[in-house]
Amino acid sequence: MAQSDLFATRRQSAQAYILRRILTNPPAALGAIVIGLMFVTALFAPFIAPYAYDQQNLDQIEKPPSAAHWFGTDALGRDMFSRIVWGARSAVFVILMVTLVNLALGIPLGALAGYLEGWADTIIMRVADILFAFPGLLFVFFVASTIKPGVMHWARSSGLSELANTGYLDYAVVILALGVIGWAGLARLIRAQVLTIKQREFVLGARAIGVPTSRIIARHILPNAVTPIIVAMSMGLGDIALSEGYLSFLGIGLQPPAPSWGNIIAENAGRYWRQFPQMIWLVFIPGLVLAAIVFAFNFFGDGLNEALNPEISD
Amino acid sequence: MADPKPEQSLVQVKGLKKYFPITQGIILQRKVADVKAVDGLDFEIRRGETLGLVGESGCGKSTTGRAILQLYRPTAGDVFFKGKDLCKLQGEELRKMRRHMQMIFQDPYASLNPRMTVGDIIGEPLEVHNISKGKEKKERVQELLQIVGLNPYFVNRYPHEFSGGQRQRIGVARSLAVNPDFIVCDEPISALDVSIQAQIINLLEELQQKFHLTYLFIAHDLSVVRHISDRIAVMYLGKIVELTDRNALYKTPLHPYTKALLSAVPIPDPVVEEKRERIILVGDVPSPVRPPSGCHFHTRCPIVMDICKKDDPAFRDVGADHWVACHAV
Repeated sequence: MAQSDLFATRRQSAQAYILRRILTNPPAALGAIVIGLMFVTALFAPFIAPYAYDQQNLDQIEKPPSAAHWFGTDALGRDMFSRIVWGARSAVFVILMVTLVNLALGIPLGALAGYLEGWADTIIMRVADILFAFPGLLFVFFVASTIKPGVMHWARSSGLSELANTGYLDYAVVILALGVIGWAGLARLIRAQVLTIKQREFVLGARAIGVPTSRIIARHILPNAVTPIIVAMSMGLGDIALSEGYLSFLGIGLQPPAPSWGNIIAENAGRYWRQFPQMIWLVFIPGLVLAAIVFAFNFFGDGLNEALNPEISD
Repeated sequence: MADPKPEQSLVQVKGLKKYFPITQGIILQRKVADVKAVDGLDFEIRRGETLGLVGESGCGKSTTGRAILQLYRPTAGDVFFKGKDLCKLQGEELRKMRRHMQMIFQDPYASLNPRMTVGDIIGEPLEVHNISKGKEKKERVQELLQIVGLNPYFVNRYPHEFSGGQRQRIGVARSLAVNPDFIVCDEPISALDVSIQAQIINLLEELQQKFHLTYLFIAHDLSVVRHISDRIAVMYLGKIVELTDRNALYKTPLHPYTKALLSAVPIPDPVVEEKRERIILVGDVPSPVRPPSGCHFHTRCPIVMDICKKDDPAFRDVGADHWVACHAV
């Protein structure tokens, strides 16, 4: 059909336009490449990593980078490159899950607060304020030290030792903690958007037509609020990667031998300081990778913002 | 108002008031005053007619239109439409009534959702009122596009790809989709170029004939209102001061405000225009927060009397269906 063709080309061209604007913006393009690389690495970690992440070779302890071990080996004789590659998988998994939790909580709560105002708004936004004011790290400590042992105890006593012994719970703690804290910022952003957009005449028009409230929020308000949400999210992804890193660094995130950039740094930090600067690669490389990801998300977010809001740069 | 003839009257407005509260304080909000945007209106809109509603900016015209359609819930009063008091309807009942009453907005750039295609915009009322779906809906949308003079192949385009006049046609098509009886046209042409205004006016007239529509036509352009309306209501500071047949209004205006308003219309004949006597009103429109006592117009009225400052003149029929609210008439 001629019409559906017209429709298809139209959609394509809008996306092509955004893509072109990102790719012609050097920092954003670089960010996109780094992010893409991380996702590919995460997806194909078993094929990319030359060794298993926990495979020890006790003849090769603390070796500097070489042809066999690109990023050297750590104190337990594990291949640093393989651990970092597998670390990408942990990071991507945490980033995606936390974002999912943030969106699932932040979008409906923010939209409701903005659309309904009044009491619903007051309650939702005060909870968000508390989350903002409350030190996030403390909350994670709380979850890790109270809920996690409880669940582990329950899992052991009910015969689910699989659950208690593997790293699933560590992931659950990180995702739950970051997810529950992180929605507040998103909800604030969405609320502000909804408050402005609902004043616009097409929303009144939708009401005049007889569009039900739920559909007004879903079809008229939220689609017009997505741009800042996408931008904030793409920048927030870097923060989540960083948060996962510091939680694992502090030992309340992913536990060794599970590979996480944060715990790789933590494991090697002591040795690094004692023998500075001979074993610089042990901390420097995972740190660099983590920093690169955070920068990449920020550059990409900036580029996306410009691409989605043509008036900013033109 | 004299008892409206039920077979003639489509909408009856009784004692309609809309006050917007002014609040102070952040945590504990308290009301400090009201903006009396619409302050007691009584009129009817007859089946098949166009009732023009004129008045200067801020006099409450748009609020009236929106309060009738319950887009703003009125502070007081009743609006009877199809045997129901709209002001007493809630939620789903009211939503279902919207099928019979629609609105055309002033700003065609703001009143269409920029993220929806024209097909989705026009098809939405069909969907939410369960009128048609899928292929049937698509056909109806294309038919509507044709009715308002647009290419039916535009269904997949977005509003920003159209000119102001075309967008207003999209807005008109959307309001026609559900076959309404009554449409509030809220300054539908004041945001358009003069050359496009005539097109939209003609379209609205054509559609009225074709679909037996009843319009409440809100405008501030007196010549446009004269052209399109059967009867005209003149509003000043939240009240209707005069309401009558358009010819009677232009020939024999009774209210001093109407006279002043009409004297401001330029006449496209240089000889006559030179002799045109203008009544210049002094001062500004008072604030609707604290409207003047008695007749709202007394602060600017050239023929003000003592009684005007004390008593609010009744809105009454002075003969030949000519309604006016003035002590001097």
